[in-house]
Amino acid sequence: MFSVRVADARAFRDILSAISTLVDEGTFYITEEGIRLRAMDPSRVAMVDFAMNKSAFDEYVSSGELKMCIDIGELLKLLRRAGRESVELFLDEETGQLKVTIRGKYTRTFSMPTLEASEEEVPTPRITFNVKATLTTDGLHQALEDVSLVSEHVRIEAEGDRIVMNAKGELMGVNIELDKGSDALISLEVKEPSRATFSLSYLSEIVKAAASTSDVVTMEFSTDMPIRLDFKQQYDGKLIYYLAPRIEVE
Amino acid sequence: MVRGRTKRLHGKKFVKRVKKKIPWIEHVINDVEIAGDLNLEDSGVKVEAFEGSLCLICRGSKRLCGKPRCPALTKLYSLIKVSRLVDGESLMGSSPPGVFVGRVGYPYVYAGPLVPPEVGDTSLMDTPEKWIGKTIDEIVGFRTSLVRSKFRVNVKKVAKAGRFVDQTLELALSREPVDTEVTFKRKPSKRILLDSEVQPMGPSAVLRSMEVGSVKTDHRIEKAYSDTDLKAEEAVLDLYLNGVPVSKIQRAFSIGAFGLKRQRRIVPTRWSITAVDSTISRRLIEERIKRSSRTINEYRVYEFNYLENRYIVLLMPGSWKYEWIEAWYPGTTWNPGSNNIALGGDWEGYKGRTTYASIGGCYYAVRLAVAEYLANEGRQAEVLALREIRPGYIMPLGVWINRECVREALKRDYARFNTLEEALNYISSRFTVGLRDWISVSMLLKDALYQERLPKYLIREWRE
Repeated sequence: MFSVRVADARAFRDILSAISTLVDEGTFYITEEGIRLRAMDPSRVAMVDFAMNKSAFDEYVSSGELKMCIDIGELLKLLRRAGRESVELFLDEETGQLKVTIRGKYTRTFSMPTLEASEEEVPTPRITFNVKATLTTDGLHQALEDVSLVSEHVRIEAEGDRIVMNAKGELMGVNIELDKGSDALISLEVKEPSRATFSLSYLSEIVKAAASTSDVVTMEFSTDMPIRLDFKQQYDGKLIYYLAPRIEVE
Repeated sequence: MVRGRTKRLHGKKFVKRVKKKIPWIEHVINDVEIAGDLNLEDSGVKVEAFEGSLCLICRGSKRLCGKPRCPALTKLYSLIKVSRLVDGESLMGSSPPGVFVGRVGYPYVYAGPLVPPEVGDTSLMDTPEKWIGKTIDEIVGFRTSLVRSKFRVNVKKVAKAGRFVDQTLELALSREPVDTEVTFKRKPSKRILLDSEVQPMGPSAVLRSMEVGSVKTDHRIEKAYSDTDLKAEEAVLDLYLNGVPVSKIQRAFSIGAFGLKRQRRIVPTRWSITAVDSTISRRLIEERIKRSSRTINEYRVYEFNYLENRYIVLLMPGSWKYEWIEAWYPGTTWNPGSNNIALGGDWEGYKGRTTYASIGGCYYAVRLAVAEYLANEGRQAEVLALREIRPGYIMPLGVWINRECVREALKRDYARFNTLEEALNYISSRFTVGLRDWISVSMLLKDALYQERLPKYLIREWRE
């Protein structure tokens, strides 16, 4: 038995669309406490770790544990019809159909099929991070937009009170400095100077999609290790991304 | 392929007419056979060249374009052969069946059937699927012997355009060559542009009247034609899955045989080829390849050589991704003036692409070849398709050569490797272009070599 209601479809839609930048078909784990999803993109370069607890919903009913795999893109199409109206999800376990009811000026109920759930749950990476920075999501987003003008990847370095992003394209280069205490960089802890390079096609997409769900992001990384981006959510839950680095031997 | 460049290379659109009797040939050519073939007095072929063209200086004898054989002369011989047979205001022949739709003046374009001066089984002439193994001269011969009869038509008015369109449509639906009699407003133009970069083409003339013999329609295509509620995309896919060759689907597509009743369009041949390649491959990728949960578990290298083109396809374990790169030797069509090999390509990730591939239609032709292979195998892979073009490939013959050669490569035995390094070493031993150059252009190789994957960092603990 699984049935939930959110009064405003918009926030829920933004979260799903942030998840869908990495995964098309997602397996949600549903417990009495809430729902969660952890999945890697098809190339296994990035991971999303999402949870939304019971209290984040306006109504939440679930008995026991179950897995529900859905085509997130299809669900988003339905939710886009909802504007800011209220949405109810109800899983019919017998038929395997997910019923999506949107209540606004009139009531419509869509049904969509659930898919075969993936067997194993993905573990999270265990990494010792040497840098922990808190940024405004918008600041990070803008900085990455700047970098994407010249290159397809970005090198992020942290030392002392400063984060430096730089990139070299075929013809142009860019150097961006974020100082501790500036508008974009709220706090910075550097245990050890670190640097790592990431593909912008992933990083920008992730930050762009998550920006609509969050104002503040905690970014953690170490030299040539995956980066962890924890987008602080307004509801009781989490939206965290991991992205593997690029290692170039030149 | 990258047609726009022809104009840019020359900078000028002005065409200089050379006198009918080409005076230089007699002075320059000692070879009796060639000189005899060039006796243009009775052939009536008009020779033209761009002002400042290398061909005017070279005159077929100095190989200034760097190719082992003169492409202009190859086309000329072929055209002379045809023009002896096409010398009047009417023509009777068996259309393979074939149709050509121009793109100049869109949406008011020239369209019409292709008719050779030959009766009988001419089907080979317009079936590129069967051309692998033919020589350049044979293929140029197929192209030049098809006379393009044409009429003006508004692409949006398929239903109301009149008898010519109806007859051409009927002909395009045939499964066998159709006896066709055409009369022209004037004799077919037998002009040849002395140029090393233009695809071979036959003579053309504006239609006065046309008679089409009895047509045995291909019932699969006719079914899609008569279904006015079937979208063109679905029609194309259905026909492909029912085993209709791509060239046939494309022919019917270009003359506006598919789609919702009111939305049927005539589509220039060049665009229709890419539209069909792109549509079929996209659907195969979405509906077959991405749905399969297995990926190949080894590195595979396939190879095929044809007409001085070397094709290599590398399949790598991983979810669907595709990249196509061409390397043009100095002296080949798209790289005439430099001493370096020119590389160009385009790619798409798992989610596909939203813009037209910069390299052109060949990208989609090859994508079809690899997509149908993976769809049959029921596995995903990262696909890198490479082509090296040597000067011996004296003129572009169309995108079909890429589709068919890659299909051919994938039919053959492959070399298998356990690591990317081994596979790359093997590839570099097969190509003249160095590995570093391929890597510097290839997004897929850079990604495979430099991008780390997350599983390496995961700790196998099922619950935190």
